[in-house]
Amino acid sequence: MHKFMSFISSVLEKILMLAMVAIVVTVTWQVFSRFIIQSPSSFTEELARFLLIWIGVLGSAYAYKTKAHLGLDLFIYKMPPVKQKRARILIEVLVLIFASSVMVYGGTLLVAMTVELKQTTAALGLNMGVIYLAVPLSGVLIVMFCIDNISQLLKSTPANENTVEGES
Amino acid sequence: MDLTAIILLVSFFVLLFLNVPISICIGLATLVSLLIHIDFTPATMTIAQQLAGGINSFALLAIPFFILSGIIMGRGGIAKRLIECAMALIGSLPGGLALVNVMSCMLFGAISGSAVAATSAIGSFMVPEMKKHGYSAEFGAAVTAAAATTGMLIPPSNILIIYAIASGGVSIAALFVAGYVPGILVGLALMLVCAIYAIRHNYPVTARLPLKVAIKKVVAALPSLLLVFIVIGGIIGGIFTATEAGAIAVLYALTLSIGIYKEIKVKELPGLLLKACETTAIVMLIIGASSAMSWLLSYTHIPQTISDFFLMLSDNPLVVLLLINLILIVVGAFIDMTPAVLIFTPIFLPVAESLGMSPIQFGIMIVLNLSIGLVSPPVGSVLFVSCAVAKTSIHKIIKPMMPLYAVMFIVLMLVTYVPAISEALPRFFGLIK
Repeated sequence: MHKFMSFISSVLEKILMLAMVAIVVTVTWQVFSRFIIQSPSSFTEELARFLLIWIGVLGSAYAYKTKAHLGLDLFIYKMPPVKQKRARILIEVLVLIFASSVMVYGGTLLVAMTVELKQTTAALGLNMGVIYLAVPLSGVLIVMFCIDNISQLLKSTPANENTVEGES
Repeated sequence: MDLTAIILLVSFFVLLFLNVPISICIGLATLVSLLIHIDFTPATMTIAQQLAGGINSFALLAIPFFILSGIIMGRGGIAKRLIECAMALIGSLPGGLALVNVMSCMLFGAISGSAVAATSAIGSFMVPEMKKHGYSAEFGAAVTAAAATTGMLIPPSNILIIYAIASGGVSIAALFVAGYVPGILVGLALMLVCAIYAIRHNYPVTARLPLKVAIKKVVAALPSLLLVFIVIGGIIGGIFTATEAGAIAVLYALTLSIGIYKEIKVKELPGLLLKACETTAIVMLIIGASSAMSWLLSYTHIPQTISDFFLMLSDNPLVVLLLINLILIVVGAFIDMTPAVLIFTPIFLPVAESLGMSPIQFGIMIVLNLSIGLVSPPVGSVLFVSCAVAKTSIHKIIKPMMPLYAVMFIVLMLVTYVPAISEALPRFFGLIK
């Protein structure tokens, strides 16, 4: 599981890097087309916004993997090791509840609804469902990272957990 | 107060104190409170829609660009040249090194939008330099942290873009220009404290550089500072939007650090891109979740309730504004700036507006106020970075921070009660009426 998740996150890294390059190129092209070739492109603004949604939502799963999301770690560090481990598992469970209910369940229904209503975007004519797809996809990844984290936590002894924390 | 507001607040703070990521705190608290009003399925769909829809904005696109250009400039030797330029200009005054630290942070803030980036880029060079000349590490760390927050106000500033979104469409150009005077005021106030401190502690004064060398140092920094004119000039002149300016800032920073200064290798780029993605995603998830929460807030008329409550307490604008500031200072000590702006703008802006404050002035006020939180324990992210850079600890840094907090608070009061500080410059450029 853990190895598989490392593979998933390295794929995720590549996708995010490409999206970041694409977003810079898209907006640069927008400026360039307006000033240099005098024919403002119509699709770049929309494409850039959609790339931002994918970077933001899919990137959230990556940032969850790297534990980069902001939190208030004021109290958890003062807890004794055993309690701290329980709290960490509880946090993973809470994130799992959010990711599975809102992102996977709500997100999938949202995609299904927009596909059914044939809601398309103005410039590119894309189905909005394609854009919203980032939400359930990121949700599934976060759920997988949560399960991986919980299994790692259950395997570790509280004392170990503390030394790892001290080093980082 | 009504039930929804109480459930929202209580669940948010319980989750926050548990160390659940703040974006998830906002999302879960919104879900729980929304369940009082609508069924589970539409509730999850609404939040899912807001997560993506809340970041579907061209203006927000400026944020990844300024994050990326900030990361490139932090690594690309630009910080070093800004420091040398500041050194040539004010290094020989009393407390010179501390003043240089403040000015470098301000210059860095003028080309990037991140206080954390400024702290690590400037602090990692300036604090050891200050130590070498007899300053204490704590004082160096305190000065760096406080000075780095000026970048929140001095444009380009990501937080002002976020505020523009949260306030429902205040002009980003006007906000950017409005940030200059307050940002520079904070910087000057900090410099004053540094000079007094240095004179009292008898810190050595550095010899003035020969004029030729000084001019050379300033010229070397010009290509970096040229970015300010391109980005801000372009936005004020209406040549391009803040987002387009951001993309140009990325290209410019890349050209400068790879092509001219030659301090970044092409093979380092993927790592920098990924770092920018990660930071962007953190901010975007908070924005998406907050947009679900503001939907819930307006659905249940909570801002109206809170606004009425404040105006019931007192109808004296001086008192109400002071109260709002005090609440925000407490909030800022616990919650990072981005979520705090997104959560409290829809709540407090209507109150301020009913007292006659413009959304521009309110934006500058809330950002300056929460800047104090960035350098306050227990969670001030900038304070932690600066302690790490200076290899000192939070409890040691508090004493030298005290006078710096005091002057930041004084400037905050000036910004709160004197509209012209924020509004004169954008009015001069015709950006507001």
